Amino acid sequence: MLGKLLKHEFKHSARYVMAIYACTAAVLVVMAVALLIKMTWLSVAASVILYFAGLLVVIMTLVAVIKNFYDSLYTNQGYLSFTLPVKCSTLLVSKVLVSFVWIIASVVALALIYLVIFLNARAQSNGELGSILEILRDSGLLDMLPSGAMIAKALVYFALILLLTVLTFVGFVYFSVTLANTRPLQKHPKLFGFLIFFGSYAITNSIGAKLTYSLPLSVTVTETGVKLALTSMERSDAMLAFGIGGTIFMALVALGMLFATGWIMEHKVNIK
Amino acid sequence: MSKIINVSDLKKSYGSKEVLKGVSFAAESGQIVGLLGPNGCGKTTLIKILTGLIKDYNGMVRIDNEEPGAYTKSIVAYLPEKSYLPDWMRPCDALEYFADFYKDFDREKAERMVNQFGLDMKQRLKTMSKGQQEKLRLILVMCRKAKLYILDEPLGGVDPAARSHILDLIIENHAADSTVLISTHLISDVEYIFDRVLMISNGQVVIDSHVDEIKEKGKTVEEVFKEVFSYAW
Repeated sequence: MLGKLLKHEFKHSARYVMAIYACTAAVLVVMAVALLIKMTWLSVAASVILYFAGLLVVIMTLVAVIKNFYDSLYTNQGYLSFTLPVKCSTLLVSKVLVSFVWIIASVVALALIYLVIFLNARAQSNGELGSILEILRDSGLLDMLPSGAMIAKALVYFALILLLTVLTFVGFVYFSVTLANTRPLQKHPKLFGFLIFFGSYAITNSIGAKLTYSLPLSVTVTETGVKLALTSMERSDAMLAFGIGGTIFMALVALGMLFATGWIMEHKVNIK
Repeated sequence: MSKIINVSDLKKSYGSKEVLKGVSFAAESGQIVGLLGPNGCGKTTLIKILTGLIKDYNGMVRIDNEEPGAYTKSIVAYLPEKSYLPDWMRPCDALEYFADFYKDFDREKAERMVNQFGLDMKQRLKTMSKGQQEKLRLILVMCRKAKLYILDEPLGGVDPAARSHILDLIIENHAADSTVLISTHLISDVEYIFDRVLMISNGQVVIDSHVDEIKEKGKTVEEVFKEVFSYAW
């Protein structure tokens, strides 16, 4: 049943995000054409539009994830979703997976869009961008930054953090929306949803930030590789050191929230 | 006959308000049961419990000898009072959805009925009239070979001329040996199809009787209903 849920979940949620992807693709085509026919002003305009389109892709996806979850479970559509012959936990897993995929896709799209903007700027600059980099290299500024190998390794770490951050976001959103749709709070589900989300997110984030800096558990990135260190981020001598206590804490809280969401969906939700 | 619904001492409260106060009844396979009562008497809460939409109740509820859950949802075809399909859906999407999730859904029959009712497979729900949407929802439910059909106000948004068509559709299409539980306030239109009626007042079953027994007393279901609920008018 999970496969069928995923199929329909993708089909349903795609409606919310495909329009912005289509618009972005159209602007990309315009930019490519402008580059080919050497129409600089159009290429620059397309770059500016793409810059905002990239941000919009992520924002719209986040909005779509929240709206799709709320609409499909806690409006009249809940009568359809909650009477499917599946367990609530399966229903929740399908929604988490699909949201996860859409959010990651939006971040990847953002990265690709900005890469295209950069490449377009480089093509338009006729080598000026290269000479700026040379000036920076000559001045020694680039030597103060971590090496390319270190940055590549750090990117792997950041990718992992990104996955955990998305999971955390989804966990907090789903929990907030679901809790706001239990009987005591459902007179104002949107208001309570916002309050619960921002309240719980702010509290756990501030605890997470403290743990990130102070807990003696960090990841250091060096030329030789990525290492786990029992030193706090604030006491580490490494050039690239990241505290992971906060991330682990947030991920655990998010997992707890997802379990709580499943339990509330199973036992306490009341569809109006 | 086996009991498809078995409810005993069912209680449900919303805060301090007790909506169901120890409801007990059983329904046998092959019956069409009318669930009657004035607004706010607990009909919808009872239906939500039977369909697995409400889980926090006290008492015993069994559908085909199982507690409401994934299995019972696979054998119960439920028509809510509200429009529950997303408005971007087209009949073809809705049919695909039901075919994917309900093994007992007869897609060919549903396609035939969609054409029979003059619905366009490719028309989005948001551009359909209320009546057309109602027809589609009823087709989706009645094209399942379910053990239990639960229909909450199936005639609610339908004009009087279409009511008899809808009742015919229910009678002709519910699976043999299945049970149909119909909640309605339009008793005179629908009482001729009932085998049995269950009247609920203030969260309690006040009448649980075969229609034949009511007729033997020279009364109609509507007359009994008016007698029982005269306080409500």
